[in-house]
This record gives sequence, C-alpha cells and structure tokens, in this order.
Amino acid sequence: MASEYQQNWLGRFTWLRNLLLLIALWEVVGRPKLVASGALPPPSAILVSLYLDRADYPPHIWATLQAAVLGFIIGNSAAILAGVLFVISPLALRLARGINIAIFSLPPIAIVPVLVLTLSGMTARVVLAALGCYFATMTATVLGLSQADQRSMDVVRAYGGNSWTIMRLVRLRSALPSILGGLRIAAPNAVLGAILAEFGGGGRWGLGTYLLGSLGRADPPRLWGIGLVATAIAGLAYAIFAMAGYHVTGASTAVTIPASVASTSSDEHTRTPLIRASLVMASVILPLLVWWLLLKAIDVPSLIAKTPLGVIDYLFLANSAPTAQLKLLQAFSQTLPITILGLFAGLAVAFLLAILSETFPAIARTMLPIALVTQTMPLVALTPLLVLLLGRGTAVTLWITISVTFFPSFATIAQGLILVPKAALELPRAYGATKVKELQLVAVPASLPYLFAALRLAVPRALLGVMIAEWLATGTGLGNLLNQSRGYLDYGMIWTVAAASVLLSILLYQLVVLAERKLFGRLGMKTSE
Amino acid sequence: MMIDRSIRLENVSKTFYTRSKEVKALENVSLSCEPGSLTALIGPSGCGKSTILRVALGLEKPDTGLVLTGGTNPQIATASGATGVAFQDSALLPWRTVEGNIALPIDVLGKRRSEFGGYIRDLIRLVGLEGFEKSLPGELSGGMRQRVSIARALVTSPGILLLDEPFGALDQILRRQMNIELQRIWSESRATTLLVTHGIDEAVFLADQVAVMHNRPGRIVTIIDIPFRRPRSKELFSQTAFHKLGDAIATTLHGE
Repeated sequence: MASEYQQNWLGRFTWLRNLLLLIALWEVVGRPKLVASGALPPPSAILVSLYLDRADYPPHIWATLQAAVLGFIIGNSAAILAGVLFVISPLALRLARGINIAIFSLPPIAIVPVLVLTLSGMTARVVLAALGCYFATMTATVLGLSQADQRSMDVVRAYGGNSWTIMRLVRLRSALPSILGGLRIAAPNAVLGAILAEFGGGGRWGLGTYLLGSLGRADPPRLWGIGLVATAIAGLAYAIFAMAGYHVTGASTAVTIPASVASTSSDEHTRTPLIRASLVMASVILPLLVWWLLLKAIDVPSLIAKTPLGVIDYLFLANSAPTAQLKLLQAFSQTLPITILGLFAGLAVAFLLAILSETFPAIARTMLPIALVTQTMPLVALTPLLVLLLGRGTAVTLWITISVTFFPSFATIAQGLILVPKAALELPRAYGATKVKELQLVAVPASLPYLFAALRLAVPRALLGVMIAEWLATGTGLGNLLNQSRGYLDYGMIWTVAAASVLLSILLYQLVVLAERKLFGRLGMKTSE
Repeated sequence: MMIDRSIRLENVSKTFYTRSKEVKALENVSLSCEPGSLTALIGPSGCGKSTILRVALGLEKPDTGLVLTGGTNPQIATASGATGVAFQDSALLPWRTVEGNIALPIDVLGKRRSEFGGYIRDLIRLVGLEGFEKSLPGELSGGMRQRVSIARALVTSPGILLLDEPFGALDQILRRQMNIELQRIWSESRATTLLVTHGIDEAVFLADQVAVMHNRPGRIVTIIDIPFRRPRSKELFSQTAFHKLGDAIATTLHGE
C-alpha cells in the first residue's frame, strides 16, 4: 500500500521532474555559449538579466496588459454574442460568413502596418488583440452551441420552448466547456496581438516596444527575459481558462452518445439557387463594405488609406500596375508551398501529441508547458534568435510555422478527445480493444469535427508564421514584400499585400471547408461551420 | 388553450428524407385516445411509434392529416403546459441536479419554481428518490435517471402524458416494478396517456387499448381493447387471460 501511494505521489510530479531536467540540460548547454555563439543563454543568465532589468518591466507589462485585457474583453464579447446569433439564425451566419473568414484570416503581421497607419497607438493594439480573440471564441461558441444534446433540446421543445429558451436552458450551458476552450486559445492570442501591434507601431511602453528597443543591443538574455515574461502572462491567462474548463467539463459530458443523424436544415432545401447565389454574393461584398465604411469613418487621407477600389486601381489600372503584379506573383509563388507544408506538419504534430497525451497523460503534462512557451513567446522577437540557431533557410520558416499552428490545433483536438462520452469509449474496451484500436474506432472519429475545426484554425496561422519568417529571416515572399513596401512608403503595396494575403488565406480556408463538407456529408455528421 | 384531454390523429402521413433515401415513417395513421385513457403503441423498431408521439407533441409536423392534442394544435397545447413527456433516453441535463431536472418544464414554461417546491418534493418521494435531490444524473443508475424523467413529465400536473419507451433501458424485474408504479402514479392523475413501448406485457398490463403497428411504411394495423379492471395487481401478469391477449398481440405483430 505504502509503495503504491508513493508511486502515485511520485507519478504526479514526473512532469515537474522532467521540466527541471530540461531546464538543467538547457543550463548545461547554454553555459559555455556553445549554441550559435550565445543565442541560447543559460536560464541562470536570463534570471540575472531579469533581475537587473526589474525596474524597467512594470510599466511595459502594464501597457501590454491594458491593451491585451481590453482587446480580450471586446473581442470575446463580440465573439460570443455573434456565436449565439449565428446559431439562432443560420441566415445571419451565412451573411456574416465573409466577414468572419476575413477577420479570421487577417494575418496580424500583414495588417499591423495598415492599423498603425490608420489608428492611434493604443487603439491599434486593442484592435489587434480583439481581432486575435474573435474567431477562436466565435467558432468554439458555434461548435459548442450546435453540438448540444438533441434529446435535451427535444424536451425543452416538447414544453413549447422556442430557440431562445433552448439557448438559455440547454445550449449555453452545454457549450460552456467549448467556449472556455475558445477563450483558452484567445487569451495568449490577445497578448500576442498586443505585443505584435506594439512591435510594429510607435508608443513608449509595452513589452513589444521594449523588445524593439532591445533588439539592437545584442543582448540575448534580455530578449529571452522579455519573451519569458510575455510567456508567463499569456500562460497565466491560458491556465485560468484551462482550469475553469476542467471544472466545467466534469459535469456536462453526456452520459451516452446521441445517436441522431443531423439532418440538413429544411430551409436549405427550399431555397432557390438564385437566393443562395445572392446570399453568397452578399457575404462576399459585406467585408469589402465594412472595409470601405471604416476608412470613411476614421477619415484618413486616401493616399495612405486605400479603399478596395484603391487597391484595384493600384494593382490593375495604374501605370505601375504591371510591376506591382509581377512582384506580387513572385512573392506568392514563394509563400504558398511552404505555407501548405508547414500547415500539415503543424497539424500532424498537434494530432500526434493530442493522441499521445490522451494515452499517456504524463507526456501532455511535460509537453504542454513547453508547447505553451513556443506558442506564447512572441515569435517576432524569437525570430532573430531562431535565425542564429537555424540559419536563414527553409528550416527556420518551417519551425516558426509549425510552432504557431501547433498550439491552437492541439488545444482544439485535445478538447474533442476529452468530450468523447465515456460509454462510447467503454464499448471497444469491453471487447478487449487496445488503446490504439479504441482511439481508432471511437475517439478519432468522434473528434473529427474538432480535427477539422483545428485545421480551419491553423490555415491563417500558418500564413502568419510564414510571413513572420519571411519578414524577419528569409527575405522572400509576401512577408518580405510587405516589409520592403513599408520601407519604400509604398502604401498601395502595403494594402495590396494585406488584401492578397487575406484572400490567399480565405482560399485555403474554403478548400478545408469543402473537404470537410464532403467527408461529413458521407459520414452523416454535422459540420460545426 | 386545451379544450379536452384527448389526443386525436386523423389520416396522418409523414415522410423523412435522409442522406440517401426517403422513409415513409407514417402512412394514413388514425388514432383516438379518449380523455383519461391509456393507449399503448407497440411495434417493431423504426415503425414510427416515436414519430406518432413526436407529432402529437408538435415536435414534427405531419405532411398531411390532422393532429389535435387536447383538442387543439399540439404546439399550443404543449406551450400551455397541458402535456408531460418522458423520452426513452432519460434526456436529463447533465449539469442539473435531480431537483433541477424535474423543474426544467417549469423553467421552460416561464413559471415560478417556488410555487412548485412542495410538489417537486412530493414527486421525488413518489418516484422513490428521497435523498438524491441534489445528485447529478451522472451519479445515478439508469433506473433512477428514468424515474427522474417520469417525475419531470408529471411536474406540470399534465392532463396529457406522452411516454416514449420510458422503461426501454431497464431490466425486466425493475420494469415490472416500474409498471406497477406507473399505474399507481397514473391512476392518481388520470392523465390521458400515450405510451410507446416494445414490451407486449407492459402494454397489456397498463393500457386500455393497444395499437399494433407495422413497418415500412409505418402504419397502425389493428387496435385491441384491454378489458381488465383497474387497479390491476401484479398477479395479473400470471393470469391466462393476460397471456391470451399477449399472444394475440404477438400474432398480429409478427403476421404480415
């Protein structure tokens, strides 16, 4: 008994031991400045530098926190309200589709110059933080709300409950784990968005500004120190929602699996092709309209702020159009292949790790903090260090892309695996199925909606990763084009690249949705989209 | 509002469209449940038993035909709290306690829970779940969950009760107990009851009339009256007349 107890007690702390081992290893490797001539300083040196800079941090942290928290609140409130609206009214979802995808697909790095051009410092930060939150939380809300137990909803309907009653009594509560899962992803995103905007914009305070100022000092311990502080903030935000999710999931996992096949909604059949086509048109035009209206509202000179028409003029009608087209095409051909490669590599890593952590929870406990670090460390700041470590080739781009796509994918897939009902897992177990068989038969198919949700989440992030790498390391593709245009004050090109990268992102996203529909239609499952 | 406590279906047809084919769930179904009677619907799986119940609840709209629940449009009847329902799978909200789940219809109907506090306690006693008021569904056995869902069906003191295989997941012994319990509960309220079941003896024991259904397309082939006097005791299960009726129903069920 005693030894068993001891074993359990020790088992619970394996992750801590592993983490300490890893830090020790880091210390040993980092100490003699063997790796890339000091780009990987030992943890002790980072701690010393943190201590020396301790007076600098509070105002920077405060500024970043302000933008991140404000953006988090605004972005997520909008996201949850929108999610509720979309589930109650599928028509609203249809119409807002274009706007949703556009917001989601905006690679933050592409719109930093645009935001800084058009908004004042703090507003740009809050907007970027909010934008980083919106889509993750919105999809999680829609997913959670629409996958509520059909039988429970029938009971409410059987007492004359309307869709709002169902929302209030069943959907919202049963979506809570999913919404918290979304907030968990959104939290580090908000911090990242704020830092990214600080990095690209002016302003005196903020961790991003601090980083920018420290880049030129060739002081890796300080860069790491700032990175770790940012990571701690993001990690803390993540942990709060992870913990809340853990407390909530226990009660709301259905006891059995609902067997109902999702039928296509009836109005889908009755809509004529003409109405459907006009809905698609409206959803495409709406984001462009919003773009145009926002620029009209904030009143920025048209030389700097390009409307959709301005971009078309720049790319197709102006005298410089052929040169612009050539530059853009060349950049595209460099960015696209590596984005797709990184996307699938990141997703594969996330999927493997989610399954591994389902089978061996100790692995998840060890890997998660590390994964969180790679996720929440501001890549913009890490990239110079990564360049020293990995060179300026494809490797650095892939590394960055995998690390930005990996984390949200992992969180989403792991969520799907957790929500698999107990009874469904016990059935194959009862037939003596191995863990692998059990995953293959129940867990993986049941989490398929989450796998696709993860893929959809990963698409724009992959593009973001590639563009950050291109901007800061490899000097190729869309990222580089954006950076160059900033230097040349080529406003037309800045807006064009922002629009083009969003379009590319939308295109990839649509391909995923198409594949998802085909597959789920065959399996009789409901897509969350 | 409710005019009487009857359930009436006239020439009701309903077709479902799935991914690959269309299924005629109901074809020309007519059924009349008099006020205060108990009607059992029996038939093979997928013959449309549950669809009849869902139509009577206004959860599905029939393609053709007339449905009157409580003498009125089913949706009006359900929204007025005149009906109670229990599904095969207890369909409890996993995050609500036993009390909270029983109170769900009250919340849906927008009434005040405090007015029902005493009644909810009575119902919990009626279904034998004292001491489990604060338990979550995940902490209960299948039989207990089912009893919660019966109590939930009764919380509005409905004049019409719709039960969709309420004991389908229970073992035979528990099921007999629950049948006797249900008769007791039912004879107190005398709600007009439509009971969907696939247990022949359950149907014969509880019902005033048994409607036998056949498959593809779903239809009622015959309606058999059950003459036994009430209250029926568990001795009835072993009487010859009981078995004769059961055999008759079985013959109709299997004879195509």
